[in-house]
Amino acid sequence: MIFVVGLSHRTAPLEVRERFSTASDVLPAVLARLASRRELDEVLFLSTCNRVEVFAAGGEHATQALREVLAEQGGVERADIMEAYLYEHAGDDAVRHIFRVAASLDSMVLGEPQILGQVKDAYEAAVAAGTLGSFLGRCVHRAFAVAKRVRTETALGEGNVSISSVAVDLARRIFVDLSSTTVLLIGAGEMAEAAAKGLGRGARAVRVCNRSFDRGAALARTFGGVAAPWEALSSELVIADVVVASTASPTFIVTRDMMRKAMKARRGRPLFFIDIAVPRNVEPSVHGIDNVYVYNIDDLEQQVAEGLKSRQEEVGRAEAMVAAELRDFQSWARGLHVQPTLVALRSRTRAVLLGELERSLTGRLKHLGEGDRAALTQMMESAANKLLHMPTTRLKARAGDPEGLDLARALEHLFDLEDAKAQAQADDAGRVTH
Amino acid sequence: MVFFSDALVLLAALCYLASSTAFVVYLAGLARPALGVATRLVAGGALLHAVHIVLASMVTRICPVRGLHFALSLVSVLACGAFLVARRRYRVDVVGAFVAPLALSFLLASWFVPSEPSKGIKNAVLPLHVAANLLGVALFTLAFAAAVAYLLQDSQLKKKRVAGLFQRLPPLEALDRAEHGFLLAGFPLLTLGILTGTLWAGHVEAGNARDIARSAFGYVSWLQFAAVLLLRAGWGWRGRRAAYGTITGFGFTLLVLVVYLVRDIGTGVSRTEHP
Repeated sequence: MIFVVGLSHRTAPLEVRERFSTASDVLPAVLARLASRRELDEVLFLSTCNRVEVFAAGGEHATQALREVLAEQGGVERADIMEAYLYEHAGDDAVRHIFRVAASLDSMVLGEPQILGQVKDAYEAAVAAGTLGSFLGRCVHRAFAVAKRVRTETALGEGNVSISSVAVDLARRIFVDLSSTTVLLIGAGEMAEAAAKGLGRGARAVRVCNRSFDRGAALARTFGGVAAPWEALSSELVIADVVVASTASPTFIVTRDMMRKAMKARRGRPLFFIDIAVPRNVEPSVHGIDNVYVYNIDDLEQQVAEGLKSRQEEVGRAEAMVAAELRDFQSWARGLHVQPTLVALRSRTRAVLLGELERSLTGRLKHLGEGDRAALTQMMESAANKLLHMPTTRLKARAGDPEGLDLARALEHLFDLEDAKAQAQADDAGRVTH
Repeated sequence: MVFFSDALVLLAALCYLASSTAFVVYLAGLARPALGVATRLVAGGALLHAVHIVLASMVTRICPVRGLHFALSLVSVLACGAFLVARRRYRVDVVGAFVAPLALSFLLASWFVPSEPSKGIKNAVLPLHVAANLLGVALFTLAFAAAVAYLLQDSQLKKKRVAGLFQRLPPLEALDRAEHGFLLAGFPLLTLGILTGTLWAGHVEAGNARDIARSAFGYVSWLQFAAVLLLRAGWGWRGRRAAYGTITGFGFTLLVLVVYLVRDIGTGVSRTEHP
């Protein structure tokens, strides 16, 4: 059975999450500690800024083992301190949880794409540490498939849900290549810095025009840009492609007349204003000038709200995909229950047939040459395959039903397969561990 | 052969129609892979259309540059071809959303025009005149498509509507560059067409009202495109103003084709009399 124990932004505040957060360089040691617990057959450790979760396949005491290792990892002496923050899922609920996490349905920002990459990193770390087997490994693979389906078949990841991503998206509707644009920051406050991060980092040049030149120069340095004196604002408007305005000025700094003159000098080149100041820095009528686009904080926030709303509308479709994939996984997992029976049946049949053949070849048929012996062995293998083809096919077809388990039990009883089945399970466990 | 040729027209029309639909699906943000499908359908439609032109001109023994029937057909094939070549350079794949319906319109229009060679096309300069004009019109069709896309994107941004049917239009800068590039490429061809047309008019003593109207619309479209290019180079008229100028110029170019259409249909030869 699959289990999940963990904490996330839904259950634990940041100061708790950061205690359990695990850097990638110590992850192999944590995985090794988890793998050393005999209650756990397979493990995967996921640590992001919003969640720390351990996924495991194992027996009935697996969750207790997971809690103990997590407590140790978080430096918590008494496990009951964590109770308020930890959650756990088992069986189908755990599988559904993995699928929902990978599909970004459980993320703080619904539909954000980073989580899938983080789950993939956790998967690769577990593979490298040898702590994943065929069961949990398959489950995580299905989680990737669900996430891909949700991303491509729904609009869960569409739309922008932050001011900076809206600003970047709008700029991309105007300019072909943001890396060839010049970004002008009017004002050098925290808001200017935050808003310019999305645009300024990738721009060809960043210029800062601030009433206090020194402060502007300090901000410009963080973007590798240059500061311009406040008096040069008009000429800066001729150079810039994107302008982020965020001063505390009570009056408009960029007026329609100023922009009309600037646009003549710009020879019609488009200009995009992001006016995040309150009160506004750019006269609203500037938006009416050809090739000038002014978006204020309300416009940007409205786009964010629309982005969130459109993502929320897609949740139902995404959850339906998760449910469908969960059903497929359940069907496959139930099929696993009959696999040892089938392996045991095949092994028993081959052993009987080849044993009888061997007895004959050392007795009455000992005069046969190598060629004839090989032909007889081949014939026996072929007979075993043909004999077992129908029961194998029918049992696999019923593997997902309760009747399939009855059939498997009947086979085990009729052919006395209990020992052979235990051997097959032991072999399979050996393959998983290594 | 005639049946095969007609089947090709039908298939090409279906390709253009399916492509237009796929472009709308992409633009509406319903399915991202629709763009690749739409572009392939344009290419498929143009290929089938080109094969049809070759076959039909062989059957009727008419050179494709003689007569309006094939000329209209050729314009849409050339426009599609130019679009497929230029879409990556200008990053304006979505312009196909306007090219595909235009190609379909031209194809259907040609279907109703007799395939006889136009009267008086005996002069050696005429094939050059028609070929230059056809290629020019094909490029102006693309400039028109880019201009329409520009105005739609500009309108979305001015109205502050980020989502909606046209959310995946290319950036304004790309559309403006593409429009200018197509105009720059088409203008010398139109100039050559106007010059050779003027030369030919001197030979045939054209005098009826339709010929005069056609010539007038031709000169006006040349002046219009010249003005758009000149104002852009000299006074920085770009973006919305250039888009309106391009659309107006293309309108005059279409009027030239309409006058041809009226004249050729006016000869009284019905479509069914032609292979």
